[in-house]
Amino acid sequence: MTDRETHWSALLRAAMAGDGHAYALFLGQITPVLRGIVRARGRSLGVEGQEDVLQEVLIAIHTKRHTWDQTAPLLPWLYAVTRHKVVDAYRRRGNSLHLSIEDFVDVLEAEPGPDHLAARDSARLIGQLDARSAAIVRAVSLDGQSTAEVGARMDMTEGAVRVALHRAIQKMARLARGLER
Amino acid sequence: MKTDDLIRALAADSQPPRPFRAGLAAMALIAAVLGVSVVFLGMAGPRAGLMSALGQPMIAAKSALPLMLFLLALPVTVEMMRPERLPRLPRALILPIALAVVLWVTAFATLPEDLRFADVSRFALTECLGLIIGLSLPSLGLAFMVLRRGAPASPLLAGAMAGVTIGSGTAAGYSLFCTQDNPLFYVTWYGVAILAVTILAAIIGSRALRW
Repeated sequence: MTDRETHWSALLRAAMAGDGHAYALFLGQITPVLRGIVRARGRSLGVEGQEDVLQEVLIAIHTKRHTWDQTAPLLPWLYAVTRHKVVDAYRRRGNSLHLSIEDFVDVLEAEPGPDHLAARDSARLIGQLDARSAAIVRAVSLDGQSTAEVGARMDMTEGAVRVALHRAIQKMARLARGLER
Repeated sequence: MKTDDLIRALAADSQPPRPFRAGLAAMALIAAVLGVSVVFLGMAGPRAGLMSALGQPMIAAKSALPLMLFLLALPVTVEMMRPERLPRLPRALILPIALAVVLWVTAFATLPEDLRFADVSRFALTECLGLIIGLSLPSLGLAFMVLRRGAPASPLLAGAMAGVTIGSGTAAGYSLFCTQDNPLFYVTWYGVAILAVTILAAIIGSRALRW
Protein backbone atom coordinates (compact mmCIF):
# COMPACT_ATOMS: atom_id res chain seq x y z
CA MET A 1 0.00 0.00 0.00
CA THR A 2 2.64 2.53 1.00
CA ASP A 3 4.60 1.49 -2.07
CA ARG A 4 1.66 2.31 -4.27
CA GLU A 5 1.17 5.57 -2.41
CA THR A 6 4.74 6.81 -2.79
CA HIS A 7 5.17 5.51 -6.31
CA TRP A 8 1.88 6.63 -7.78
CA SER A 9 1.84 10.00 -6.06
CA ALA A 10 5.34 10.70 -7.41
CA LEU A 11 4.19 9.77 -10.92
CA LEU A 12 1.03 11.86 -10.79
CA ARG A 13 2.90 14.79 -9.27
CA ALA A 14 5.35 14.66 -12.18
CA ALA A 15 2.44 14.27 -14.60
CA MET A 16 0.71 17.33 -13.21
CA ALA A 17 3.88 19.30 -13.75
CA GLY A 18 3.58 18.41 -17.45
CA ASP A 19 5.47 15.09 -17.74
CA GLY A 20 3.39 13.15 -20.26
CA HIS A 21 5.53 10.02 -19.96
CA ALA A 22 5.01 9.86 -16.17
CA TYR A 23 1.30 10.35 -16.77
CA ALA A 24 1.09 7.43 -19.21
CA LEU A 25 2.98 5.27 -16.69
CA PHE A 26 0.65 6.36 -13.89
CA LEU A 27 -2.50 5.55 -15.89
CA GLY A 28 -1.02 2.26 -17.03
CA GLN A 29 -0.18 1.22 -13.48
CA ILE A 30 -3.44 2.20 -11.79
CA THR A 31 -5.61 0.59 -14.47
CA PRO A 32 -5.16 -3.08 -13.44
CA VAL A 33 -5.86 -2.18 -9.82
CA LEU A 34 -8.93 -0.13 -10.69
CA ARG A 35 -10.08 -2.95 -12.97
CA GLY A 36 -9.81 -5.28 -9.97
CA ILE A 37 -11.98 -2.93 -7.91
CA VAL A 38 -14.59 -2.56 -10.63
CA ARG A 39 -14.62 -6.36 -11.20
CA ALA A 40 -15.00 -7.08 -7.51
CA ARG A 41 -17.70 -4.49 -6.94
CA GLY A 42 -19.59 -4.75 -10.17
CA ARG A 43 -20.01 -8.45 -10.82
CA SER A 44 -23.53 -8.04 -12.14
CA LEU A 45 -22.39 -5.61 -14.83
CA GLY A 46 -20.75 -8.24 -17.00
CA VAL A 47 -17.21 -7.96 -18.33
CA GLU A 48 -18.08 -5.42 -21.02
CA GLY A 49 -20.05 -3.29 -18.60
CA GLN A 50 -17.20 -3.44 -16.12
CA GLU A 51 -14.76 -2.22 -18.75
CA ASP A 52 -17.12 0.67 -19.58
CA VAL A 53 -17.23 1.64 -15.92
CA LEU A 54 -13.44 1.38 -15.69
CA GLN A 55 -13.17 3.78 -18.61
CA GLU A 56 -15.57 6.18 -16.93
CA VAL A 57 -13.38 6.01 -13.81
CA LEU A 58 -10.24 6.76 -15.85
CA ILE A 59 -11.90 9.71 -17.59
CA ALA A 60 -13.05 11.07 -14.21
CA ILE A 61 -9.54 10.72 -12.78
CA HIS A 62 -8.26 12.59 -15.80
CA THR A 63 -10.77 15.43 -15.82
CA LYS A 64 -10.72 15.89 -12.02
CA ARG A 65 -7.03 15.32 -11.31
CA HIS A 66 -6.68 18.99 -10.39
CA THR A 67 -8.81 18.32 -7.27
CA TRP A 68 -6.06 16.13 -5.79
CA ASP A 69 -4.32 18.18 -3.12
CA GLN A 70 -0.69 17.35 -3.92
CA THR A 71 0.32 17.78 -0.28
CA ALA A 72 -2.18 15.07 0.79
CA PRO A 73 -1.95 11.29 0.21
CA LEU A 74 -3.03 10.20 -3.26
CA LEU A 75 -4.71 6.85 -2.57
CA PRO A 76 -7.70 8.19 -0.57
CA TRP A 77 -8.37 10.61 -3.41
CA LEU A 78 -7.93 7.93 -6.08
CA TYR A 79 -10.21 5.45 -4.35
CA ALA A 80 -12.81 8.14 -3.60
CA VAL A 81 -13.02 9.03 -7.30
CA THR A 82 -13.26 5.33 -8.19
CA ARG A 83 -15.95 4.67 -5.62
CA HIS A 84 -17.93 7.71 -6.75
CA LYS A 85 -17.89 6.64 -10.39
CA VAL A 86 -18.68 2.98 -9.66
CA VAL A 87 -21.66 3.96 -7.49
CA ASP A 88 -22.68 6.49 -10.15
CA ALA A 89 -22.47 3.88 -12.90
CA TYR A 90 -24.67 1.55 -10.88
CA ARG A 91 -27.17 4.28 -10.18
CA ARG A 92 -27.44 5.17 -13.84
CA ARG A 93 -27.96 1.53 -14.66
CA GLY A 94 -30.86 1.48 -12.23
CA ASN A 95 -29.23 -0.34 -9.33
CA SER A 96 -27.83 0.95 -6.11
CA LEU A 97 -24.62 -0.03 -4.46
CA HIS A 98 -22.97 0.93 -1.24
CA LEU A 99 -19.23 0.92 -1.04
CA SER A 100 -17.09 1.83 1.88
CA ILE A 101 -13.52 2.94 1.51
CA GLU A 102 -12.38 -0.19 3.37
CA ASP A 103 -13.47 -2.25 0.39
CA PHE A 104 -10.58 -0.81 -1.56
CA VAL A 105 -7.74 -1.33 0.81
CA ASP A 106 -6.17 -4.46 -0.59
CA VAL A 107 -7.42 -5.03 -4.04
CA LEU A 108 -5.61 -7.45 -6.28
CA GLU A 109 -4.87 -6.48 -9.80
CA ALA A 110 -7.18 -7.99 -12.35
CA GLU A 111 -6.09 -9.47 -15.64
CA PRO A 112 -7.25 -7.55 -18.65
CA GLY A 113 -10.53 -8.84 -19.98
CA PRO A 114 -11.60 -9.61 -23.53
CA ASP A 115 -11.12 -5.91 -24.17
CA HIS A 116 -7.57 -6.71 -25.18
CA LEU A 117 -8.40 -9.68 -27.30
CA ALA A 118 -11.35 -8.48 -29.31
CA ALA A 119 -11.63 -5.12 -30.98
CA ARG A 120 -14.22 -3.40 -28.89
CA ASP A 121 -16.89 -1.27 -30.33
CA SER A 122 -15.21 2.11 -30.48
CA ALA A 123 -18.44 3.85 -31.39
CA ARG A 124 -19.60 4.29 -27.81
CA LEU A 125 -17.60 7.38 -26.94
CA ILE A 126 -15.51 8.35 -29.96
CA GLY A 127 -18.37 7.78 -32.35
CA GLN A 128 -20.33 10.62 -30.79
CA LEU A 129 -17.61 13.21 -31.36
CA ASP A 130 -17.47 15.42 -34.42
CA ALA A 131 -15.39 14.02 -37.28
CA ARG A 132 -12.25 16.07 -36.69
CA SER A 133 -12.17 15.47 -32.93
CA ALA A 134 -12.79 11.77 -33.47
CA ALA A 135 -9.91 11.65 -36.00
CA ILE A 136 -7.57 13.31 -33.50
CA VAL A 137 -8.55 10.98 -30.66
CA ARG A 138 -8.15 7.95 -32.93
CA ALA A 139 -4.76 9.09 -34.20
CA VAL A 140 -3.44 9.65 -30.67
CA SER A 141 -4.98 6.56 -29.13
CA LEU A 142 -5.31 3.82 -31.75
CA ASP A 143 -2.25 4.75 -33.81
CA GLY A 144 -0.23 6.07 -30.88
CA GLN A 145 0.81 9.22 -32.73
CA SER A 146 2.13 12.23 -30.84
CA THR A 147 0.20 15.48 -30.92
CA ALA A 148 3.03 16.93 -33.04
CA GLU A 149 2.68 14.14 -35.63
CA VAL A 150 -1.08 14.53 -35.74
CA GLY A 151 -0.66 18.26 -36.23
CA ALA A 152 1.74 17.80 -39.14
CA ARG A 153 -0.56 15.27 -40.81
CA MET A 154 -3.78 17.25 -40.30
CA ASP A 155 -2.19 20.61 -41.11
CA MET A 156 -2.81 22.01 -37.63
CA THR A 157 -0.41 23.48 -35.10
CA GLU A 158 0.49 21.19 -32.23
CA GLY A 159 -1.18 23.63 -29.85
CA ALA A 160 -4.42 23.45 -31.81
CA VAL A 161 -4.29 19.63 -31.72
CA ARG A 162 -3.77 19.72 -27.94
CA VAL A 163 -6.70 22.06 -27.48
CA ALA A 164 -8.94 19.96 -29.74
CA LEU A 165 -7.89 16.76 -27.93
CA HIS A 166 -8.52 18.36 -24.55
CA ARG A 167 -12.00 19.48 -25.62
CA ALA A 168 -12.76 16.06 -27.13
CA ILE A 169 -11.88 14.34 -23.83
CA GLN A 170 -13.98 16.80 -21.84
CA LYS A 171 -16.84 16.03 -24.21
CA MET A 172 -16.27 12.29 -23.78
CA ALA A 173 -16.43 12.82 -20.03
CA ARG A 174 -19.82 14.50 -20.40
CA LEU A 175 -21.00 11.74 -22.73
CA ALA A 176 -19.88 9.09 -20.26
CA ARG A 177 -21.90 10.84 -17.54
CA GLY A 178 -24.94 10.69 -19.76
CA LEU A 179 -25.30 14.48 -19.81
CA GLU A 180 -25.18 14.66 -23.60
CA ARG A 181 -26.49 12.38 -26.23
CA MET B 1 -12.69 1.98 -27.53
CA LYS B 2 -10.13 -0.22 -25.84
CA THR B 3 -9.01 0.84 -22.42
CA ASP B 4 -5.36 0.97 -23.50
CA ASP B 5 -6.30 3.30 -26.35
CA LEU B 6 -8.22 5.51 -23.96
CA ILE B 7 -5.15 5.67 -21.71
CA ARG B 8 -3.03 6.82 -24.65
CA ALA B 9 -5.57 9.52 -25.48
CA LEU B 10 -5.71 10.71 -21.87
CA ALA B 11 -1.91 10.67 -21.56
CA ALA B 12 -1.60 12.78 -24.71
CA ASP B 13 -3.82 15.40 -23.05
CA SER B 14 -1.08 16.07 -20.52
CA GLN B 15 -1.15 19.84 -20.28
CA PRO B 16 -0.79 20.59 -16.56
CA PRO B 17 -4.22 21.45 -15.16
CA ARG B 18 -4.68 24.44 -12.91
CA PRO B 19 -4.90 22.95 -9.39
CA PHE B 20 -8.10 23.43 -7.42
CA ARG B 21 -7.04 25.66 -4.53
CA ALA B 22 -9.40 25.79 -1.58
CA GLY B 23 -8.14 29.24 -0.58
CA LEU B 24 -8.79 30.68 -4.03
CA ALA B 25 -12.26 29.14 -4.22
CA ALA B 26 -13.07 30.60 -0.79
CA MET B 27 -11.88 34.02 -1.90
CA ALA B 28 -14.05 33.77 -5.02
CA LEU B 29 -17.11 33.06 -2.87
CA ILE B 30 -16.26 35.97 -0.55
CA ALA B 31 -15.82 38.23 -3.57
CA ALA B 32 -19.18 37.10 -5.00
CA VAL B 33 -21.03 37.93 -1.77
CA LEU B 34 -19.09 41.12 -1.13
CA GLY B 35 -19.46 42.34 -4.71
CA VAL B 36 -23.24 41.93 -4.79
CA SER B 37 -23.62 43.45 -1.29
CA VAL B 38 -21.49 46.48 -2.17
CA VAL B 39 -23.45 47.10 -5.36
CA PHE B 40 -26.75 46.75 -3.49
CA LEU B 41 -25.70 49.02 -0.60
CA GLY B 42 -24.26 51.48 -3.11
CA MET B 43 -27.64 51.69 -4.85
CA ALA B 44 -30.05 51.38 -1.91
CA GLY B 45 -27.79 52.96 0.71
CA PRO B 46 -27.18 51.58 4.20
CA ARG B 47 -29.79 52.29 6.88
CA ALA B 48 -29.79 55.69 8.57
CA GLY B 49 -27.63 55.77 11.69
CA LEU B 50 -25.92 52.46 10.88
CA MET B 51 -23.00 52.98 13.22
CA SER B 52 -25.06 53.82 16.29
CA ALA B 53 -27.45 50.96 15.48
CA LEU B 54 -24.55 48.49 15.37
CA GLY B 55 -23.61 49.67 18.86
CA GLN B 56 -26.72 47.98 20.22
CA PRO B 57 -26.18 44.24 20.74
CA MET B 58 -29.69 43.21 19.64
CA ILE B 59 -29.21 45.03 16.35
CA ALA B 60 -25.56 44.07 15.91
CA ALA B 61 -26.63 40.41 16.25
CA LYS B 62 -28.66 40.82 13.04
CA SER B 63 -25.39 41.25 11.16
CA ALA B 64 -23.12 39.20 13.41
CA LEU B 65 -25.11 35.94 13.37
CA PRO B 66 -25.37 35.54 9.58
CA LEU B 67 -21.75 36.68 9.27
CA MET B 68 -20.72 33.98 11.73
CA LEU B 69 -22.70 31.35 9.82
CA PHE B 70 -21.09 32.53 6.59
CA LEU B 71 -17.57 32.30 8.01
CA LEU B 72 -18.22 28.82 9.44
CA ALA B 73 -19.94 27.46 6.33
CA LEU B 74 -17.42 28.83 3.82
CA PRO B 75 -14.50 26.46 4.59
CA VAL B 76 -16.88 23.49 4.82
CA THR B 77 -18.28 24.26 1.36
CA VAL B 78 -14.84 24.57 -0.18
CA GLU B 79 -13.52 21.42 1.53
CA MET B 80 -16.46 19.43 0.17
CA MET B 81 -15.16 20.00 -3.36
CA ARG B 82 -12.55 17.27 -2.88
CA PRO B 83 -13.94 13.77 -3.42
CA GLU B 84 -12.10 12.11 -0.53
CA ARG B 85 -13.45 14.51 2.08
CA LEU B 86 -16.54 12.88 3.50
CA PRO B 87 -19.53 15.20 3.61
CA ARG B 88 -19.44 15.73 7.35
CA LEU B 89 -20.94 18.82 8.88
CA PRO B 90 -18.89 20.36 11.69
CA ARG B 91 -20.67 20.88 14.98
CA ALA B 92 -19.57 24.52 15.02
CA LEU B 93 -22.29 25.26 12.43
CA ILE B 94 -24.85 24.74 15.19
CA LEU B 95 -23.43 27.66 17.19
CA PRO B 96 -24.92 30.59 15.21
CA ILE B 97 -28.19 28.68 14.85
CA ALA B 98 -28.37 28.00 18.60
CA LEU B 99 -27.56 31.64 19.35
CA ALA B 100 -30.34 32.71 16.98
CA VAL B 101 -32.82 30.44 18.76
CA VAL B 102 -31.79 31.83 22.16
CA LEU B 103 -32.18 35.35 20.80
CA TRP B 104 -35.63 34.56 19.43
CA VAL B 105 -36.84 33.01 22.70
CA THR B 106 -35.41 35.87 24.77
CA ALA B 107 -37.09 38.46 22.57
CA PHE B 108 -40.36 36.55 22.72
CA ALA B 109 -40.22 36.44 26.51
CA THR B 110 -39.30 40.10 27.01
CA LEU B 111 -41.43 41.85 24.40
CA PRO B 112 -45.01 42.76 25.29
CA GLU B 113 -47.52 40.66 23.43
CA ASP B 114 -48.77 43.36 21.06
CA LEU B 115 -45.23 44.27 19.93
CA ARG B 116 -43.97 40.76 19.20
CA PHE B 117 -45.17 40.46 15.64
CA ALA B 118 -46.11 44.08 15.03
CA ASP B 119 -43.50 44.47 12.26
CA VAL B 120 -44.83 41.64 10.12
CA SER B 121 -46.50 43.06 7.04
CA ARG B 122 -46.77 41.93 3.48
CA PHE B 123 -44.40 44.69 2.39
CA ALA B 124 -41.83 43.91 5.09
CA LEU B 125 -41.83 40.20 4.25
CA THR B 126 -41.60 40.77 0.51
CA GLU B 127 -38.76 43.22 1.01
CA CYS B 128 -36.79 40.99 3.36
CA LEU B 129 -37.31 37.61 1.65
CA GLY B 130 -37.29 39.02 -1.86
CA LEU B 131 -34.08 40.98 -1.42
CA ILE B 132 -32.09 38.29 0.43
CA ILE B 133 -33.14 35.55 -2.01
CA GLY B 134 -32.89 37.82 -5.06
CA LEU B 135 -29.45 39.17 -4.12
CA SER B 136 -28.26 35.61 -3.45
CA LEU B 137 -28.98 34.50 -7.00
CA PRO B 138 -26.13 36.32 -8.81
CA SER B 139 -23.66 35.31 -6.08
CA LEU B 140 -24.90 31.74 -6.28
CA GLY B 141 -24.33 31.76 -10.03
CA LEU B 142 -20.76 33.00 -9.57
CA ALA B 143 -20.17 30.47 -6.78
CA PHE B 144 -21.28 27.53 -8.92
CA MET B 145 -19.02 28.67 -11.76
CA VAL B 146 -16.07 28.26 -9.39
CA LEU B 147 -17.33 25.14 -7.59
CA ARG B 148 -18.00 23.26 -10.83
CA ARG B 149 -14.26 22.60 -11.04
CA GLY B 150 -14.55 20.59 -7.85
CA ALA B 151 -15.48 16.95 -7.39
CA PRO B 152 -17.74 16.69 -4.35
CA ALA B 153 -18.61 13.25 -2.98
CA SER B 154 -22.21 14.48 -2.66
CA PRO B 155 -23.20 17.17 -5.18
CA LEU B 156 -26.53 17.65 -3.39
CA LEU B 157 -24.96 18.31 0.00
CA ALA B 158 -22.19 20.43 -1.50
CA GLY B 159 -24.83 22.50 -3.30
CA ALA B 160 -26.77 22.91 -0.05
CA MET B 161 -23.64 24.07 1.79
CA ALA B 162 -22.93 26.56 -1.00
CA GLY B 163 -26.49 27.82 -0.45
CA VAL B 164 -25.97 28.20 3.33
CA THR B 165 -22.76 30.12 2.62
CA ILE B 166 -24.14 32.46 -0.03
CA GLY B 167 -27.50 32.90 1.72
CA SER B 168 -25.98 33.79 5.09
CA GLY B 169 -23.31 36.02 3.55
CA THR B 170 -25.96 37.88 1.55
CA ALA B 171 -28.18 38.21 4.65
CA ALA B 172 -25.24 39.74 6.54
CA GLY B 173 -24.77 42.29 3.75
CA TYR B 174 -28.51 42.99 3.53
CA SER B 175 -28.71 43.53 7.32
CA LEU B 176 -26.81 46.81 6.91
CA PHE B 177 -29.76 48.12 4.90
CA CYS B 178 -32.58 46.48 6.86
CA THR B 179 -34.34 48.47 9.62
CA GLN B 180 -36.27 45.55 11.12
CA ASP B 181 -34.59 45.38 14.52
CA ASN B 182 -36.98 43.01 16.26
CA PRO B 183 -35.20 39.64 16.67
CA LEU B 184 -38.54 37.86 16.30
CA PHE B 185 -38.72 39.34 12.82
CA TYR B 186 -35.17 39.06 11.59
CA VAL B 187 -34.29 35.67 13.09
CA THR B 188 -37.43 34.15 11.60
CA TRP B 189 -37.35 35.72 8.16
CA TYR B 190 -33.58 35.79 7.61
CA GLY B 191 -33.74 32.12 8.59
CA VAL B 192 -36.49 31.39 6.10
CA ALA B 193 -34.62 33.28 3.36
CA ILE B 194 -31.34 31.41 4.02
CA LEU B 195 -33.22 28.11 4.08
CA ALA B 196 -34.87 28.90 0.75
CA VAL B 197 -31.50 29.73 -0.83
CA THR B 198 -30.11 26.49 0.65
CA ILE B 199 -32.86 24.34 -0.84
CA LEU B 200 -32.56 26.06 -4.21
CA ALA B 201 -28.77 25.63 -4.19
CA ALA B 202 -29.10 21.95 -3.23
CA ILE B 203 -31.35 21.38 -6.24
CA ILE B 204 -29.00 23.28 -8.57
CA GLY B 205 -25.96 21.60 -7.04
CA SER B 206 -27.29 18.09 -7.51
CA ARG B 207 -27.19 18.80 -11.25
CA ALA B 208 -24.46 21.40 -11.71
CA LEU B 209 -21.89 19.78 -9.40
CA ARG B 210 -22.30 16.27 -10.81
CA TRP B 211 -19.12 14.82 -12.26
